[in-house]
Amino acid sequence: MSDHVAQGSPNAKGSQHVLEVAGLSAWYGEAKVLSDVDLRVEPGEVVTLVGRNGAGKTTLLRSVMGLHRHVEGTVSWGGSDLGRSSPDKRARAGLGWVPDDRGIYATLTVAENLTLPPVTSKADAWSLEQVYEQFPVLHERRDFPGTKLSGGEQQMLAIARVLRMGSRLLLLDEPSEGLAPVIVQRIGEIIRQIKAQGVSVLLVEQNVTFASTVADRHYLLAQGRVVESLDNDSFQSRTTELLEYLGM
Amino acid sequence: MQRKKTLALMATAVSGSLVLAACGGGGGPASSGGKISDGKVVLGLLNDQSGVYKDLSGPNSKVAIEMAVADYKAKYGDKAVAKDIEVVQADHQNKPDIANTKAQEMYDRDKADIILDVPTSSAALAVATQAKAKKKLFIDIGAGTTALTGAQCNKYTFHWAYDTYMLASGNGAATVESGGKNWSIVYPDYAFGQDMTKSYSAAVERAGGKVQQKIATPFPNDNYATFITKAAASKPDVIGIMAAGGDLVNFIKQFNQSGVASTTKLAVGLMFITDVHSLGVDQFKGTTFTDAWYWNFDAQNRAWADKFMAKTKVRPSFAHAGNYSAAMNYLEAVQAAGTDKSDDVVKQLEGKKINDMFLRNGEVRAADHNVVHDVYQVKVKSKDQVKEEWDLEQVVKTIPANEAYAPASPDCKM
Amino acid sequence: MTAFIQYTLQGLALGGFYALAALGLAVIFGVLGVVNFSHGACYMLGAVGAAVLLDATGLGFWAALPIVTVAMFVFGVLMERLLVRWLLRLDPLYNFLLTFGITLFLVDLVKRRYGVSSLAYELPAGLKGRVDIGSVSLSSYQIFVAAFSVVLCLAVWVLLTRTRIGMIVRAATEDAERSRALGINVGRWVTPVFGFGIALAGLAGVLRAPTGSVNADMGSFFIIILFAVVVIGGLGSILGAVVAGFLVGLVEAYGQGYAGSFSQVLIFVLMAVVILVRPSGLFGREEAAS
Repeated sequence: MSDHVAQGSPNAKGSQHVLEVAGLSAWYGEAKVLSDVDLRVEPGEVVTLVGRNGAGKTTLLRSVMGLHRHVEGTVSWGGSDLGRSSPDKRARAGLGWVPDDRGIYATLTVAENLTLPPVTSKADAWSLEQVYEQFPVLHERRDFPGTKLSGGEQQMLAIARVLRMGSRLLLLDEPSEGLAPVIVQRIGEIIRQIKAQGVSVLLVEQNVTFASTVADRHYLLAQGRVVESLDNDSFQSRTTELLEYLGM
Repeated sequence: MQRKKTLALMATAVSGSLVLAACGGGGGPASSGGKISDGKVVLGLLNDQSGVYKDLSGPNSKVAIEMAVADYKAKYGDKAVAKDIEVVQADHQNKPDIANTKAQEMYDRDKADIILDVPTSSAALAVATQAKAKKKLFIDIGAGTTALTGAQCNKYTFHWAYDTYMLASGNGAATVESGGKNWSIVYPDYAFGQDMTKSYSAAVERAGGKVQQKIATPFPNDNYATFITKAAASKPDVIGIMAAGGDLVNFIKQFNQSGVASTTKLAVGLMFITDVHSLGVDQFKGTTFTDAWYWNFDAQNRAWADKFMAKTKVRPSFAHAGNYSAAMNYLEAVQAAGTDKSDDVVKQLEGKKINDMFLRNGEVRAADHNVVHDVYQVKVKSKDQVKEEWDLEQVVKTIPANEAYAPASPDCKM
Repeated sequence: MTAFIQYTLQGLALGGFYALAALGLAVIFGVLGVVNFSHGACYMLGAVGAAVLLDATGLGFWAALPIVTVAMFVFGVLMERLLVRWLLRLDPLYNFLLTFGITLFLVDLVKRRYGVSSLAYELPAGLKGRVDIGSVSLSSYQIFVAAFSVVLCLAVWVLLTRTRIGMIVRAATEDAERSRALGINVGRWVTPVFGFGIALAGLAGVLRAPTGSVNADMGSFFIIILFAVVVIGGLGSILGAVVAGFLVGLVEAYGQGYAGSFSQVLIFVLMAVVILVRPSGLFGREEAAS
């Protein structure tokens, strides 16, 4: 385990919640896509889920968010079982959803995209000024329809949106996908910055190199099962082997 | 996915609703018996019991037929040939395929000796085909098509109250004579509307008038504003509207709201007193149309209408009176023939001259089985002329039977 | 040329009415994902409600506008709470069938109680006149309905674009699941939005009563036209419903002017062309690649 708790920033005033997934299985109709998954994200920890396409990474994130409901097992957050609670309750409890398609509303402006979700924790929430300071481009284009932004800008917007809510755990689904290296680098910086504020991140990532630059720990997912759990050091030392394993 | 699916769903719903299906069926063997087949005479009422024509005929026509049965029994008492008489009814929903099936059921299962009413021309023609195949009687009251006594006539089918020719020759000619020379006709583009337009155009031209425009509209249709503008463009004296039911109401309301109403007369092809009653006379200011019968025309009509109203709480339309008259004259023919055997009853009816509550100077023409009689050009009363609830029509002119109806069609071969 | 201007004005007047009626359908589809087949029946209930109100209490058109609209809102809320809600998680087909069943039920109920003939309803006294500009002429009522529809569509537009409620409804319309995952209790908005949509259908019915037949069957063809309007505009697109409403009104008026009995067919030709060229409708969003 890392010493993340000590890295708290002035912004990190909220409760120090742990995400714990135990014995989670999930189905699409008859097909079982997750089997008995256990995982844990400590406060301020960045954890990645690595695996091939179809390994069940996105389903896992969706199950944690309560979007995928055909599941068994438990997801608990801050010590309490989320049970069958709805996605909006989970979001208001501090889970921040950043989907792989970024989920930017075309019918809302950039500013509306930012202010749409309710502020769930005043202590943790970024103010609009903070967001615009960190992401000047969002300020410049605040009155544009959300989807008129570039892919990288949309990714920034999606992350900024949940930070403005005051989410304590970000569920990031492939944030680097399809983006230019310089932007991927910028996203890495943001992740390190929010980690420094004590916010946890559960990151789905296929870009192993990128994952190793931001994460504390990694779970390897294959055919719906966690096949290995590694800390970042052993992850980095085994990069070649892992890439081969992932078929990349 | 969901949206695409929904889109497909809606597109299907839209196209599905635009397709109207109709199909026919076959005939069956005839049956015959002794003096009175199966020991009783069965009269079958087949009409619209739930849709647009329910009020103008519908279940209340059963009341009218039962009145005829009661009158027949009272008249002949112990001497009645038909001692046991039953009236059955069914809903054909104005669909020819359903009418066809129901007619078969009535003739075969209910042992009906005669079917009465059957509004909607396509449904009436389907029942006529059944009547011919089963050699059982059919007297149509509710439908307007001249084909029943034309190309598709048969020995067992009679047409009692009205047809499109008579509707046109009554009001069409009379309107021209009273100065309405130039016409625009607006009609729904289906069999009835086309038929009416042909009849009206011919009637107007026979009387020396001119039809400048014939404007086809979709059927059904809600909005007539632009059609009315178009119809008025040729500055006609009269606009003739051949729509019926809800479409007629749409047209009338929108005609009144258009500026055209102040300069142009309105002639309605087919209208029932129930239409005027439900909308109120104000909507129809001075509109003229042909009526086959009006309850408040004379004391005889009124006496019958009083009896009808005591049972139904409404005044009768011409369809109600026509059903009574047809049922009564059928039973009289059974009485005269001494049997309900179809061929014998037909023989009694053919050529019969009738003057009853419904028919004035009436004749069951042997050549085509068209029952011709005097008809009336009527005008909707203005509000101050109305003295009681159903007092809605003023008879402008009585049109003698021989002027009102076309001569027997050469197309009809019994 | 005069004729063309006349047809255009008549088309716009008709279009305003279509836009208003389609708006409710679009909002309901957007937020709930329900294709409300009963929209035509609710439109009929609005018109019949106005006629019954007049007959029973003597309250005329101006009173019917608010009274019937509010009553239909309540009716919509009950319909959503008691019936529609339970099928929302299933395939949309189920709610389509449910609302189809509700349609049959309502139509037969009205037939049973009020018969099949049209009920009497007349123009309000203040709107019986006509406005003539040169040889172009419209009835005051046509102008009123068009202006009323435009004002109402604008009001809805302001509500949707300038308020937080509107922002939430737009977001839920675009993607209800995503909005839930961002902490918005979409379920709380579902009932009032459904009631609002039904109220708009009822309001359209009241507006129709003075100028058309008022009977149980009046909505049965109307709903088909409305489906065409929302398909042309783009499913769930509010702006699309309004623009397509006017477009369909114009097409119908020009059709009546120049194509006679094909005037309605043209609407469906337009729909087919739109589906072929832009399957998601004029203002619909393209399908996500997933």
